[in-house]
Amino acid sequence: MAATLTQRAGEGFRAGRPATTPRNGRRRLTKALHFLTFGAPGLLIYLALVMLPIVMTVRTSFTNRNPANPPTTWVGLHNYTRLLHDSDFTGALWNTVIVSVIVTVAANALGLAIALLLDRPGRLYNLLRSVFFTPVVLSSVVVSVIWQAILADDGLLDTVLRNLGVADPPGWLSDPDIALYSVASIITWQTLGFCVVVYLAGLAGVPTELLEAAEIDGAGRLARFRHVTWPMLAPAVTINTIMLLISGFKAFDQIQVLTNGGPGNGTTSTIAFQVVQTTFTGNHIGYGAAMATAMLVIIAALAVLALRILQRREVTL
Amino acid sequence: MRKRALLSAVALSTALALSGCAAGASDGGSAKGGSTVTLTFLTFETPNLTAKYWDDAIARASAKVPGVTIKKLVAPSADPGAYAKQLAASGQLPDIMASVSPNGFAQAGQLASWTDAELTDFVSPHSNPINGKIYQLPYNTQPIPLVYYNKADFAQAGITGPPKTYAELLDDSSKLKADGITPFVVGGGGKDTWADMYPLIAAVGADTYKADPNWLAEKAAGKAKFTDPAFTKAVAKISDLAKKGYIDTAGLSRSYADTEQAFRDNKGAMYPMGSWFAASADARKPSFDIGVFPWPTDDGSLAVPAYTGGGPVVSSKAPDVDLAKKWALAFTLDKTSSDVSVKTDASIIAIKGYTPPTEVGPVYAQTVDLYQQAVKQNAIVNSFSVETGDGSMPAGLAGKTASGVADLISGKTNADHFSAFLDNEWAKATQ
Repeated sequence: MAATLTQRAGEGFRAGRPATTPRNGRRRLTKALHFLTFGAPGLLIYLALVMLPIVMTVRTSFTNRNPANPPTTWVGLHNYTRLLHDSDFTGALWNTVIVSVIVTVAANALGLAIALLLDRPGRLYNLLRSVFFTPVVLSSVVVSVIWQAILADDGLLDTVLRNLGVADPPGWLSDPDIALYSVASIITWQTLGFCVVVYLAGLAGVPTELLEAAEIDGAGRLARFRHVTWPMLAPAVTINTIMLLISGFKAFDQIQVLTNGGPGNGTTSTIAFQVVQTTFTGNHIGYGAAMATAMLVIIAALAVLALRILQRREVTL
Repeated sequence: MRKRALLSAVALSTALALSGCAAGASDGGSAKGGSTVTLTFLTFETPNLTAKYWDDAIARASAKVPGVTIKKLVAPSADPGAYAKQLAASGQLPDIMASVSPNGFAQAGQLASWTDAELTDFVSPHSNPINGKIYQLPYNTQPIPLVYYNKADFAQAGITGPPKTYAELLDDSSKLKADGITPFVVGGGGKDTWADMYPLIAAVGADTYKADPNWLAEKAAGKAKFTDPAFTKAVAKISDLAKKGYIDTAGLSRSYADTEQAFRDNKGAMYPMGSWFAASADARKPSFDIGVFPWPTDDGSLAVPAYTGGGPVVSSKAPDVDLAKKWALAFTLDKTSSDVSVKTDASIIAIKGYTPPTEVGPVYAQTVDLYQQAVKQNAIVNSFSVETGDGSMPAGLAGKTASGVADLISGKTNADHFSAFLDNEWAKATQ
């Protein structure tokens, strides 16, 4: 179909027809007016509420804006060079990478496993799908408050462990060596339902004919998964990976409620948390804007890179 | 027909866009029409300071100052200062703000200062000046912290009375521990990192500030460092208490509310906390009697860290600054509100001629007695990190200090590293 259209256009050109006629011009004008009429309000809202704040943040990042220390002056790239030497920022970046990797890998793996288990008809499985999806619709703050009650040193989990004879159970949120992994696990738990739903949708799209053909060809269960199901799930893997990477990099609510960046100095601080601390607690609005801009660039670069890599292995039927 | 539909759509879009512009051009709600001025008032709610408390107090103040309509804003947490900063960053600083530190706002010219004539009703009218001016009404005094203790635990461990010297405190802690009782309950989990600060604030008050009341101002002026022995000595005491197992590290994952509950549940014998705990202790008495003593100095002399402030601040951009100040004064000087503040927050009201209600509880009474003794002996010192005004900590450093204290208690750092960390963070915060 595409080739036909190209051919026709070429024919028209060769015949020496003018590129635009008055009638075509009117049609284009009408189309442009349609676009402006129906698209402009949405575009304006998008520009005002998304693009403009981003532009203003980037602009602020080149200043030393600090309400407690006026006047605001242009400092060029100073805030960005400072980021490279700021242990709070580099520590938060490292924590963010750890959280993002754990969340992306663990939620993808567990989500796929659970989706494979739930990919069958029946009321029980429908109920289980809802159960797994419930944490996704809960507020992160609510989830964090619940997990804090479970993971605190005198919380539910350690109380159970003590009753089982564990004399000195781990400080899930108070041990600096463990707290970050606890937080990552909670984010994984909360995002798991989303992964399951995406994988279930992907599994529903795997043609049964292909699976049956593979079975007739003698492929076992594992071989069918490896050579048919897994390649067909590539778009679901892409969606989940990108969404989880972004979720991991944006982690804030859980940190704020569960650990406030601690225990101790910044052991669970993420970039998003550090941006808020620097901007609103420390009053360093210009420097905080530089952190936010750096975070935006890092997320965008990672998302594009992951998208390119993952889309290469997607199968189109 | 299509053309007409298109024209109608264009007209509708234009109208919507114009109406949007018109709405965006309004002043955001601070209407000034006729004889009534609308003022926004930032409050915060806690289990003690409920919505009803604020609504009733606002109504009483408004009745005394005609021509004002108050639009109450409620901070999303018990820290209205953080919310005020967010609002200020988007140009929406409220006209009047309760319990917001003026630091940062005042230097940026965002607050109106109070004149001596407006401060005549206050006991300490010149508390916490910023560049020589007062921006927050010095409404009440809070000793921060005192050590509240479980009298039954002390008796069980054979301790006859509260310690007078630091050596006695160590001795008592040893006896308590030997008897299977954790000496100190400390918090600091979740968003309440600040709750681990009180032993350090107490030690700095008793050691560093007792020896040099202006120590922090000297630090701000570059004449002192946290790594100086005068400060490190206090830090080392907290590190030592933790090493000896006198501070329960489990507290580092407890929220503030859970920490108070832990003391109530007898999970430790001593609870260094701000005087506001007295209200809770009296209102919901635990199964044991509570006593109170100041963190002891080495030589047994008295030192009580305290902070006077807590009243409203007024935006210099309020639609009618004079009227906003008049209303804030009426709100602050209202006797009924002060009575409620005494009962719910154990405030020591710093208004001349004020007498607290007769039905105050025993822990509040002990707290006030201790404070008055310290006033008589000229033994009041600043509360480290709680100070506002000239020479106080830069914004954000109190939070960093709290995170460092967690490292100190958990043994992840020592006194020298902690002090160097504070010097480094101070330099970063003032960069």
